Amino acid sequence: MSETKKDESGEEARVGVYICHCGGNISDHVDVEKVAEAVKDIPGVVVSHTDMFMCSDPGQELIQEDINKGNINRVVVASCAPSLHETTFRGAISRANMNPYLYEHANIREQDSWVHHGDPATAKAITLVAAAISKARGLKPLEPIRVDAASHTTVIGGGIAGLRAAVDLARNGIKVALVEKSPFLGGNASQLDRVFPTGEKVADLIEYLTSAVAKDPNITVYTCAELTGFEGYIGNFKVTIKRKAPEDEATQLMLKQVKGAAPGSFHPFVGFYPGDVPAADEEETLTTGVIVFATGFELYEPRQGEFGYGENREVITLRQFIRAMADAPATTETLTIDGRPVRRIAMIHCVGSRQIPGIHEADENDYMNEYCSRTCCTATLQAALEVRDNYPGTQILDYYRDIRTYGHNQEEYYSRASEKNVLFFRYEPEDSPVITKTTGEYPLKVTVVDKLTFNEEVEAGVDLVVLATGMKAKNIDSLVEMMKLPVGADKFLQEVHPKLRPVEMANGGILLAGTCQAPMDINESCNAAQAAAAKAAALLGKGFVELDPFVALVDPDRCEGNGDCIAECPENAISMTPDNKAEVNPALCTGCGMCVAVCSVNGIDVQGWGLKEYENMVDAIVKF
Amino acid sequence: MSEEKKSTAPTVDMKKLRQERNESITGAREKMKVQNKVIKALKEALSKEAKTIPELADIMGMQTDAVLMYVSTLKRYGIIGEGPKDGDYFKYELTE
Amino acid sequence: MKVKRDLQFDAIVIGGGIAGLQSALDLGDQGYKVAVVDKDATIGGKMIRLSKVFPTLDCASCITTPKMSSAAHHENITLFTYCTLGALDREKPDQVVAQLRQEPRYVDPEKCIGCRKCEYGCPVYVEDDEQGGFNMRKAIYIPFSNAIPQLPVLDVENCSLCGKCAKVCPTDAIRYDMEPEDFTITAKTAVLATGFELSPMEQKPQYGLAKLQNVVSSMQMERLLAPHGPYNRVLRPSDGKEPDSIAYVQCAGSRDESLGIPYCSRVCCMYAIKQAMLLSGALPLADITIYYMDIRAFGKGYEQFYQNAKAMGIEFVKAKVAKITQGDNQTARLRYEDQEGNGGVMEREHDLVILSLGMVPQWDPAGICSVNCGQDGFIQSILPKIAPTVTNIDGVYTAGVAAGPKDIVDTITEAGAAAMEAANYIKGLT
Ligand SMILES: Cc1cc2nc3c(=O)[nH]c(=O)nc-3n(C[C@H](O)[C@H](O)[C@H](O)COP(=O)(O)OP(=O)(O)OC[C@H]3O[C@@H](n4cnc5c(N)ncnc54)[C@H](O)[C@@H]3O)c2cc1C
Ligand SMILES: Cc1cc2nc3c(=O)[nH]c(=O)nc-3n(C[C@H](O)[C@H](O)[C@H](O)COP(=O)(O)OP(=O)(O)OC[C@H]3O[C@@H](n4cnc5c(N)ncnc54)[C@H](O)[C@@H]3O)c2cc1C
Ligand code: SF4
Ligand code: SF4
Repeated sequence: MSETKKDESGEEARVGVYICHCGGNISDHVDVEKVAEAVKDIPGVVVSHTDMFMCSDPGQELIQEDINKGNINRVVVASCAPSLHETTFRGAISRANMNPYLYEHANIREQDSWVHHGDPATAKAITLVAAAISKARGLKPLEPIRVDAASHTTVIGGGIAGLRAAVDLARNGIKVALVEKSPFLGGNASQLDRVFPTGEKVADLIEYLTSAVAKDPNITVYTCAELTGFEGYIGNFKVTIKRKAPEDEATQLMLKQVKGAAPGSFHPFVGFYPGDVPAADEEETLTTGVIVFATGFELYEPRQGEFGYGENREVITLRQFIRAMADAPATTETLTIDGRPVRRIAMIHCVGSRQIPGIHEADENDYMNEYCSRTCCTATLQAALEVRDNYPGTQILDYYRDIRTYGHNQEEYYSRASEKNVLFFRYEPEDSPVITKTTGEYPLKVTVVDKLTFNEEVEAGVDLVVLATGMKAKNIDSLVEMMKLPVGADKFLQEVHPKLRPVEMANGGILLAGTCQAPMDINESCNAAQAAAAKAAALLGKGFVELDPFVALVDPDRCEGNGDCIAECPENAISMTPDNKAEVNPALCTGCGMCVAVCSVNGIDVQGWGLKEYENMVDAIVKF
Repeated sequence: MSEEKKSTAPTVDMKKLRQERNESITGAREKMKVQNKVIKALKEALSKEAKTIPELADIMGMQTDAVLMYVSTLKRYGIIGEGPKDGDYFKYELTE
Repeated sequence: MKVKRDLQFDAIVIGGGIAGLQSALDLGDQGYKVAVVDKDATIGGKMIRLSKVFPTLDCASCITTPKMSSAAHHENITLFTYCTLGALDREKPDQVVAQLRQEPRYVDPEKCIGCRKCEYGCPVYVEDDEQGGFNMRKAIYIPFSNAIPQLPVLDVENCSLCGKCAKVCPTDAIRYDMEPEDFTITAKTAVLATGFELSPMEQKPQYGLAKLQNVVSSMQMERLLAPHGPYNRVLRPSDGKEPDSIAYVQCAGSRDESLGIPYCSRVCCMYAIKQAMLLSGALPLADITIYYMDIRAFGKGYEQFYQNAKAMGIEFVKAKVAKITQGDNQTARLRYEDQEGNGGVMEREHDLVILSLGMVPQWDPAGICSVNCGQDGFIQSILPKIAPTVTNIDGVYTAGVAAGPKDIVDTITEAGAAAMEAANYIKGLT
């Protein structure tokens, strides 16, 4: 076991081991000094240190000093998950002019101190560090894989977020294909009238962006289009865009509304109409460097009977109400909708949001929307205020759980609503308001246990019930499947890490913008879109991208060309050369190792994570 | 550059500086005097056995919050360590 | 010694908090040369001083240090810490000029190796604001263990000029006579990311004007919970007792016209819930109560976080706390009108009370920069819905809490947005 390992230069492996306290996150449960002591005599180890925060500058300098002094030529850091800091330490090693791949990371936090305590935690840390050391001893220097990147992005979704991202990318000099499923641009925002908290017309906001889109030669707009084909890798995706005439009824109806209108105009409650609807199917395949998802949300549709929805025509959603108000005669004493005077409106918050297992009804797949939809509180109060400002004869009763007017200038809506005599009732989810038909003065009656008046049961007759329905993730299952995208428990697309990499998905080169990630309002969607554009610009700006070299490599001397690996590879990364040897496309390979497992002659191995390295690790684990 | 390990700092007119900063220097010195006294008393109080903050305050005739401030400071610089818990309070001890 | 330097960059970022760092990284990654200026001795802003962060409960250090250190080591980014901004404005379409002053650290940055021998050698103790004022540092000190850069600062106001630090410094880095040094930075574009400070605790007579025992600010509580906190555990500051009963007073510095802070500070509900969760881990036997008006858990995963806290046994009481006074045995007594249960005015005593203070802007541009601020003092966007980072000055952008209260997630995306605008401004010049 104690044979001496040498690297390519023939130098013996001299390992430096650095164990992090993580300010107590690790050292409160793992005796880090004991770990350092236990591994210091493992063959090949020349230094074994601990530090409060290895990732801090002094921690990194510790490593660099040992490298610069010529003490070590392999590094092992035992700290948090490699997803957090592996690149930090590789960077530190690079700056000390050592090959950054002569590095091994041991996770003694997420996989140890956060789940084990006391002696077992320390024992496990010793094992993990010992395994990392034995792997580090056998590591060879590697070079990152460099692939060319096309200066082109594909933005999927032409709502506010997609438009914003497209405009920014194009201004940056990057070509954009903007792919929108419907014949219109603007997305869900087109269904609004004035927006909080500025009171601007949504038409102005959308046109601000669509006019920039129209002017910019870098942008090609594909409406009535979807992505039907996808392959490749960051910098070099191949996407197939298919355009076809819309078939669904709702879209046909909207198209009818804009019939004869000049192309390039905005139509309230429809969207911005660029004009061209394909007569026959069209298909185009593009090479694109980065893909930005901006597929947005869909509105929660209340179940039949939920708060009387679907059973009473007087129960509508907030979106329908916004529409109805836009059509209503302006500033009369009392609001009239569909010719009926509306003397009193009940507005109910959190419909289809903040659902609680055990209280709310799950859908047929046993799923519920546990999140807050973030925009409905302020949107509801905005609608309430509009009523109170323009139709003083119409009363508003507002049924809420918490009023979440969190954003810039939003609290004002809440305080103004109180001043304008909007009546608030606070309900608990287990005592949600109940809507019943009556034959009295009002068609409907709302009953609720009001938390603001010491749990008194309050009844009120109303002419209209407005449901503040929340956002659901847009159903894009086919894209999720085709592109193997990560989706969260809430069904929205999932970022890598909400703070470290908030607009990136785990799939390299696929980014997130707007409400496909989580509920957001318009400005938040724009921020997210611009942040995604900045990421894309950084990825594509250099003309190439660098990938980790942990990919499969064929040993042509051993390969017998039987092709088992080709059949096994889930990424289609392996092909056969004319002289019957397997060959790996490193840009496609994810280093999963499936090929290694099926090769009967050990003719293929993953660089940096080879069979020999695993053997060494297992040996160490058995020993410690 | 001189080879031997000699001061490489440019010479500073300390006298002039002391005059200029007289006020803050006097303030700092006064502060230090009080601090040294308290620290001495604290070390003495802990010389035999570990004690809690209220016990220390009693012995030293000081407010508990002020004692805690000193104890946590000396803990930070490695002079005092935390001992076992006694009821709702921890005991503190000298590290040397 | 006082050479007047004029340095050229593509972009200048004012503020090295998480907003400024993210903007700088997003610009630097696109190949632009960026200067990051912070008035503090270290970058990292508030985030590096927090304990753990909602909603993932990662330790703040663990996710701030990667950003701090990648900025510090980035080939396109230069840090200027401990600098005062005297003026910043656009002078030409391709020139924003910033007048800066390097405040003296009294330590030669070229020589110092960050060994902290001076700090250990210094005989003067000074109350440490970095630790909520709960313990003391020395008159020469490195702000905290993961500060960047690792350079000490000599606090002249508290220095006795005894010469001890100079004596123990192995590299002769101490410069007692260091002078401020003025310089200018000229850049094509600027990002203002000057962040926030807590609304003052001394403001509200009903809450004791910061004079009550064991009534602390939320930032002080972050320090008590942090890995390198003043006590290394949560203790009652009045006497070191491990608290049995802890309470949060929500909206203590926000949504209150009488304080001139009518807006919601957007993070206090979530940080209170987070701290409550951390406390129930650290002190499993303690009762924890949150007195609130509305719980605003609106972000991704936040509502679930709130429901988890409820399930963990943290008590949520819907009530506005009217008054806090000193109770018996060094407790704090809360008087509140209960809106649930039986109602009426109630009183309850707690070992430790945390005021969930709000956010106010840290920087007032008046006289320094012609950027427009709203009534609330935060930097105003001229296109708040569609381009929230664009200010009234051409090619000058804003991000993070400087532009209005927000949490880290929203701050980081906004910083990316500002970087995009700034990059496109530079592109548009050529
Ligand atoms: C009732 C209500 C009121 C609101 N009021 C306000 C307000 O006053 N102020 C405010 O700031 N915000 C408000 N909002 C929020 C606002 O609507 C959203 O923030 C915004 O519309 C989100 O834009 P988006 O681009 O992320 O998503 P979307 O608007 O949903 O756009 C997504 C686009 O992608 C397209 N798409 C989807 N799937 C595909 C696919 N597979 N292929 C191609 N294209 C696809 C869709 O057709 C759509 O055009 C409100 C929301 C609601 C529900
Ligand atoms: C008690 C508390 C707990 C919190 N917990 C969480 C949490 O768990 N999760 C979460 O998401 N958010 C949390 N937050 C919010 C979080 O702190 C902020 O979202 C974030 O720190 C904002 O970063 P920023 O860069 O905008 O501002 P800051 O962190 O304030 O940074 C601003 C920087 O600018 C510098 N600066 C200011 N003025 C000048 C000037 N004139 N010249 C040069 N430099 C200047 C400052 O020194 C500072 O470094 C919490 C906030 C508080 C108060
Ligand atoms: S924003 Fe308001 S109405 Fe919408 S889900 Fe959240 S709390 Fe409920
Ligand atoms: S000044 Fe000297 S003693 Fe102090 S940290 Fe720097 S090098 Fe060390």
